[in-house]
Amino acid sequence: MNLAEGVQYISFLILAFLVIGAALGVVLLSNIVYSAFLLGGVFLSISGIYILLNADFVAAAQVLVYVGAVSVLILFAIMLVNKREDFSKIPGRWLRNVSTALVCTGIFALLSTMVLITPWQINETGPFVENTLVTIGKHFFSDYLLPFELASVLLLMAMVGAIILARRDLIPELSEENKTATALTLPERPRELTSASK
Amino acid sequence: MDFSSNVAAQLNAGTILPEGIVIVTLLLVLIVDLIGGRKVALALPYLAIAGLLVSVGLLVTSWSMADPIGFIGAFNGDNLSIIFRAIIALSTVVTILMSVRYVQQTGTSLAEFIAILLTATLGGMFLSAANELVMVFISLEMLSISSYLMTGYMKRDPRSNEAALKYLLIGASSSAIFLYGLSLLYGLSGGETQLVLIAEKLVNADTVGQSLGLAIALVFVIAGIAFKISAVPFHQWTPDVYEGSPTPVVAFLSVGSKAAGFAVAIRLLVTAFGGITDEWHVIFTALAVLSMVLGNVVALAQTSMKRMLAYSSIGQAGFVMIGLVAGSEDGYASMVFYMLIYLFMNLGAFSCIILFTLRTGSDQISDYAGLYHKDPLLTLGLSICLLSLGGIPPLAGFFGKIYIFWAGWQSGLYGLVLLGLVTSVVSIYYYIRVVKMMVVKEPQEMSEVIKNYPAIKWNLPGMRPLQVGIVATLVATSLAGILANPLFNLATDSVVSTKMLQTALQQTGETPAIAISHDLP
Repeated sequence: MNLAEGVQYISFLILAFLVIGAALGVVLLSNIVYSAFLLGGVFLSISGIYILLNADFVAAAQVLVYVGAVSVLILFAIMLVNKREDFSKIPGRWLRNVSTALVCTGIFALLSTMVLITPWQINETGPFVENTLVTIGKHFFSDYLLPFELASVLLLMAMVGAIILARRDLIPELSEENKTATALTLPERPRELTSASK
Repeated sequence: MDFSSNVAAQLNAGTILPEGIVIVTLLLVLIVDLIGGRKVALALPYLAIAGLLVSVGLLVTSWSMADPIGFIGAFNGDNLSIIFRAIIALSTVVTILMSVRYVQQTGTSLAEFIAILLTATLGGMFLSAANELVMVFISLEMLSISSYLMTGYMKRDPRSNEAALKYLLIGASSSAIFLYGLSLLYGLSGGETQLVLIAEKLVNADTVGQSLGLAIALVFVIAGIAFKISAVPFHQWTPDVYEGSPTPVVAFLSVGSKAAGFAVAIRLLVTAFGGITDEWHVIFTALAVLSMVLGNVVALAQTSMKRMLAYSSIGQAGFVMIGLVAGSEDGYASMVFYMLIYLFMNLGAFSCIILFTLRTGSDQISDYAGLYHKDPLLTLGLSICLLSLGGIPPLAGFFGKIYIFWAGWQSGLYGLVLLGLVTSVVSIYYYIRVVKMMVVKEPQEMSEVIKNYPAIKWNLPGMRPLQVGIVATLVATSLAGILANPLFNLATDSVVSTKMLQTALQQTGETPAIAISHDLP
């Protein structure tokens, strides 16, 4: 093992430890602010792993999108909701925790067995890509052209949908002669009202 | 030749022309609404319907295209995809017809609703023809995200909020699982994303070491698909989402979204998982048994019409899965045939319950008592659609079911077909219960809601499209049974002329279906 491989190996170990440690923290800590910051840590460490894999563009996109946008958005949401609520103790909670842990360990064991016994077709001396941006761009405009363009329609609709959900609507006034109309609610009466009217 | 002209020569972009028309319509709807404001809002549904009908027309002309592969393998416009894309586009046409009045009456804006619905249609159409993993995932997400948005469209209704949140959370986790399955496929095939190439690599590879990975990929992919077609045990979202969503959205989810799910199921399973046909037949047999039993039995206990139709749609998906498990030419043709008929009868039933809801504001089955005395047209429409869903002889649903059961019987799925027969008898019971409630009750047994039934006014804005929708689906449901032959030929033709299915049928023969029938009771 020469120096370069050694450095690579050590940095992989550090990054993997960071990813797993931070991810466990996200799930296990009860304070949601800590979880949100640790989630940012998970994203950052994963982008480090991408750099180790020679995927520099993906690493940069990971930092920009996940750390820069998603984590910050989550933190904003937590700040806006800023409300302390003490949840009542659920009896037999340890049973749920134990069963969840069992299921997770089982899935982990199954997947790691699968990863270990499968003869992956790894191309160790694959062509080294000099400029990943150009290669990705060429793929986007040749064999992945259709999904790439389709994503724009998807984003347009996500934007329209977000605006619809977030905008403040004028609640229409219900006229007297048209009693069946409703104000931004389903025309079907809720079940309690239906049973009460009998 | 430089890069761009080299790519342009291979694109074969004409294959996505019908989808292109839908995209143009979608943009037109948004822009015209933006410029025209409230004055043109009433014209927008007709614009959307015109666009969709043009798209269906183009689908018809592209039948049996010489070279259906477009975008360097990302898109496959073969005949099977054409018929599923037409089913999805038609389901949207009928959904728009029934949504005009409904959306106006709730006070929400119609243009955005239609735009989101068109995006969902677009996602479904691309999903039916997607021939590559990235394409499958993007179009699936397009369909799902627009469905979440439509589910939560009634912002001030807690039921709608609850439905949207449930659908979003369960849907997001199921797409994550589906994506994990796709990534496993990508890895196992050594970095291929096109379904055909994946199948080649998987067949050539050493299958002993890979079988566990492939099995996990299969289970994960089926989990994602079964969520879309709401097969038991991936159905928990269905009743709550159906109850809380605006009813036109429910109609689209139960027909358009489900058709897209079946299309992608056929394509992924037959091509990418063609090497392990026995395994996915076993899984789908289990899904079909559970869906038929649970869907039809739980539907018996429902008091709300939308919830009843939710469970009945789970049961109907179970019947369609028999065709998938049969794995023969007739099996696939019967699926297509049943989806064609299901389109008309289910959308007809939904149009009728929307009309009832708009007039009375109720969704309870008991409130339908004595409807015959007040509104004979609505009673007739709902009765025919429900009887057809149950499979009563002269109507379309009967022939659809017979064909599926016959195809299953031919492939030796005796247990599954017998179970299908028993559960469809159960289903007839709960459909007839509604019909009996409407028709048989004497005037003095009428429910309070029916006693206060408003005068029938068809000239209210948005009522005409609903009337057109009801009459059209009613005519189609009653005539499709007697004149089933053209539809039947269409379904058979689409299967016979699809290369993907023919190669799969030649490889496997029809033996695997017989082999697994012994597992059944």
